[in-house]
Amino acid sequence: MRKWILIAVITAALITLLDAEENKAEIQKGIKMPYMAFPMKKGEGMYSTKGKCNMCHSWGYILNQGAQSKAFWRKKVIKMIDIFQAPIKNEDINEVVEYLYKNYGNGKEN
Amino acid sequence: MLRRDFFKQAALIAGSAAVGSTTADADTTTHPVDNRKVADIAFPQKRPLITYSDRPPLLETPREVFTNPITPNDLFFVRWHMPMIPTYINPHYFSIKIDGEVEKPVKITVDSLKHDFEPVEITSVLQCGGNGRSAFHPTPGGIQWGSGAMGCAKWKGVRLNDVLAKAGLKKNASWIKFHGLEKPVYTKTDGFVRALELEKLHDKIIIAYEMNGEALPYLNGFPVRLILPGFYSDSWVKMLSNITVTDTKPKLHFMDHAYRVPDNECECETSDNLVPKTKPIEEMNVNSLIGYPTSGIQVKQGAKLIIRGVAFDGGHGIAKVEISTDGGTSWQEATLDDGTQGSYAYRSFRHTLMPKQAGTLSIMTRATNTKGETQPFAEDVKWNHGGYKYNGIDEVTVEVVS
Repeated sequence: MRKWILIAVITAALITLLDAEENKAEIQKGIKMPYMAFPMKKGEGMYSTKGKCNMCHSWGYILNQGAQSKAFWRKKVIKMIDIFQAPIKNEDINEVVEYLYKNYGNGKEN
Repeated sequence: MLRRDFFKQAALIAGSAAVGSTTADADTTTHPVDNRKVADIAFPQKRPLITYSDRPPLLETPREVFTNPITPNDLFFVRWHMPMIPTYINPHYFSIKIDGEVEKPVKITVDSLKHDFEPVEITSVLQCGGNGRSAFHPTPGGIQWGSGAMGCAKWKGVRLNDVLAKAGLKKNASWIKFHGLEKPVYTKTDGFVRALELEKLHDKIIIAYEMNGEALPYLNGFPVRLILPGFYSDSWVKMLSNITVTDTKPKLHFMDHAYRVPDNECECETSDNLVPKTKPIEEMNVNSLIGYPTSGIQVKQGAKLIIRGVAFDGGHGIAKVEISTDGGTSWQEATLDDGTQGSYAYRSFRHTLMPKQAGTLSIMTRATNTKGETQPFAEDVKWNHGGYKYNGIDEVTVEVVS
């Protein structure tokens, strides 16, 4: 019985030593990533666009690209499908591009 | 002219929910967007920073931090490519796997890095290739960073060459691929993988396990990341878990399509005539930033105003930093720190002014490196489609009150 208590105490001491070595609670326990809201502009196609893009990344990643042309947004959407496997069907591309251009466009087609 | 810039900037700040310009038709360059506010929410191991995205985290350091030649870990900028980043790594089980064209594939633990290799330290700037991108018009794709997608830290780790020697390179080895633990949502998607040509390796490239005397913050690549002094941060792979040696140049999205500039002398092009041949951004150009004062603050007429900031380049070293208060007509040399942190580190500078007249005062800085390369005026920086390598002369505008 006493032997087990001793082992438990030594184990606890060793763990404490390891903790001290790392010197950071976050490293021992990991981190918790916060959620930040990046509100989308309301408009036709918002919900469908949200579902498709937010699978992989925040809305901030999109709105912080700056105001862009329709051709830019189309190229981006296609890149997301081709390179990053975004779950956007061919027949839905136009809806996403229109929403992006209408709400985050610079008024230029190209 | 200056006044116009000031108001243009103010308008951009006011409309900063959707950043970028819609006005300029021709390719032009201004100053990057300044004075964006930090977020309400702090990310783990960080103070609140300018936040462009939470998934993946994209965090920018505010200007006032750049009075210090070392950027504290909790203020250091963050940029990830993939949305899935481990939030817990047990450093006692983590290892770097080295395979491919090697004599003996090996796994090296963090403990082994710390105990079986010669430790080396280097103070080096880490800067995103797109730092200052918001200066370019028409707006290039990519995050519209202000000037704070950069920092400087003292990195401690081991030489990449020493680690590779442990596995032993085969004769046909020619490229080294680096892969970290960040992951795409879909397993078929290529991860964020970077590669270096074997002949470009040198002994200052290290695998770091310490940043400013502490373990790296998770968001800066805990437990280990690659350090390439003098190069933009795209190859500084975080949470480095795999090193694969290949005999040919690997095909990689993040090497072949991203982080590239026109392969010509000026590394420039126009939006209606893109240059087809491109090259990797690689070595950082000469740059400087004012940390104090920041734009919009009030200072007292006739009172000492100490301008402070940092300057750096790709490792040739800073020769001088100059200050102008007349829009760039005349320049006075600032005082540099002793430079003991080495040529890859920030060189901090200071310069004392005594503003004589009440009203708006513009303060500009221009750094020159030991090769004689210097910064162009913001409007003279040439456009490129990725918005990379911005290094225009910095400017802040303060109000002198009587």
